[in-house]
Amino acid sequence: MNMQASKTLFRRQLLGGLKWRRTAREPYRCFSCSIRHEQEPSPSKFPQDTAGTTHFGYETVDEALKEHKVGAVFSSVASSYDTMNDLMSLGIHRLWKDYFVRNLNPGANPLTSSSDPEKGWNILDIAGGTGDIAFRMLDHASTINNDAHTKVTVADINPDMLAEGKKRALATPYARSPRLKFVEANAEKLDMIPDNSVDLYTVAFGVRNFTHKDVAIREAFRVLKPGGVFACMEFSKVNNPLFDAFYKRWSFGAIPLIGQLVAGDRDSYQYLVESIDRFPSQTEFRDMIQEAGFLVPGQGWEDLTGGIAAIHKGVKPIR
Amino acid sequence: MAPVRLSNSVLGSFRAASRRSALWRRACLYHSYEYNQAPPFPPAESAILSAALAHVPTHGFTSGALTQGARDAGYLDVSTSLLPRGVFDLIYYHLVTQRLALKDSVQFLAEGEKGKSLSIEAKVRSLTLARLCANEPIIHRWQEAIAIMAQPTYAPDSIAELARLADEIWFLAGDQSVDSSWYTKRASLSAIYSATEVFMTQDTSKGFIETGKFLDARLEDVMKIGGFFGAMGDWLDYTGHSAVNVLRSKGVRI
Repeated sequence: MNMQASKTLFRRQLLGGLKWRRTAREPYRCFSCSIRHEQEPSPSKFPQDTAGTTHFGYETVDEALKEHKVGAVFSSVASSYDTMNDLMSLGIHRLWKDYFVRNLNPGANPLTSSSDPEKGWNILDIAGGTGDIAFRMLDHASTINNDAHTKVTVADINPDMLAEGKKRALATPYARSPRLKFVEANAEKLDMIPDNSVDLYTVAFGVRNFTHKDVAIREAFRVLKPGGVFACMEFSKVNNPLFDAFYKRWSFGAIPLIGQLVAGDRDSYQYLVESIDRFPSQTEFRDMIQEAGFLVPGQGWEDLTGGIAAIHKGVKPIR
Repeated sequence: MAPVRLSNSVLGSFRAASRRSALWRRACLYHSYEYNQAPPFPPAESAILSAALAHVPTHGFTSGALTQGARDAGYLDVSTSLLPRGVFDLIYYHLVTQRLALKDSVQFLAEGEKGKSLSIEAKVRSLTLARLCANEPIIHRWQEAIAIMAQPTYAPDSIAELARLADEIWFLAGDQSVDSSWYTKRASLSAIYSATEVFMTQDTSKGFIETGKFLDARLEDVMKIGGFFGAMGDWLDYTGHSAVNVLRSKGVRI
């Protein structure tokens, strides 16, 4: 009896073990077929695969939720934004931003522009909450081009980032001048900016976080004057596979860790590196700019540091 | 018979189609009378650049000239971002348009029409002079352009454009060489052209007579050197063959 019971128990255990083994077995796969590959949902490059959802890093979230989640990320990183940028990019982000501004050469030199009814440029800096680009633009216009009229409107969806920018503006000569303005706005709905009113639309490391990139680019097309320039600096795809391997290691290994240690927030920086990886490649983004109606200069983009970042430009055609 | 003909015609049309597409794709690689070359610059860029060239005599090859050009063409100051290489794009535009204008600006009488036609060397000379004259309105600013062209970033494009110019001149002069002189001709003309161009920036003589003389002297040098090396080659060839023959007559198995 006892013997019988132990036998059945053993059989059950064996059966159970077998069952367990069967369920945990890897799906059938060999090198010559791609069944497994098809079973997995393939990650697509563009947001809006299905109506109403978009990507938040590697997660697929409801469209309405992305704005909120991105907001939470940037609210939590606003105060340590610069320190973190320095640590993550080893200070290179400053060189990129300097180059970006120098290359656009903002400001109308009063010596070469004799009879211009509207003085200076009207610059709109989207997602520029902390004023990084805005202060550089104004500095370049004032000191290089001797232009005291160029205006920059800093727009950001996040009030915490704007507060950080306003705080920093106090240390610059532009804090109480009419040349610098802070506006809380969504890049997809710039209702407070009239049509054909902006010379230069810049967005540095912001497009990535937009829920609808194409809508934002079309909105840029609307607010720009004919001949105006859309300039976008964004993380992109590294060209050299060897450097790419190193870069991926750095971004997925080190950046969340630095975020955890310095800013005390691992998840936000995990989102950051995932959203960088998700962003369309140089050619895809160039095509998006062209689709909105812009003329692109040359090949349409310029790689920085081997393609870690890229500057995309588009010019609104006249007529 | 019929299937053969059909297959031939199908093959023929396929061949023609593929050749046409290949030609269309590589239209810029060689001269073709049958296919119109696409304009070298997109319309918006050429509108800004051609307007900017008019400002070069006063503003020089600077971003100021580009800005003025953009304004003249109805664009904004910021629209100069359409030119990714900035001032070098302006220089490059000048080089390319002047090279392409050469075939319309210099016309030679058809061969045999007037009995005596120009030699290829004379044609090369007049084509080179015509190209140099195209620099005349901006010659006082051309040193700036040379300095920019010599920058390491732009040097490869500048040298390639110089090679294309030399090729264009020899082609328009009617050179049909298919031996190694194809290379030496283009290389020596490139050297002569660039030297003469630099000379011209310092030339203060009326109507650039000195530049013409300088060009003639350099072309003459090349003829002399070419003649010397040609004779040298002949002599080496003759001596070599003779030596081999002498050795063979002595019973050496070569």
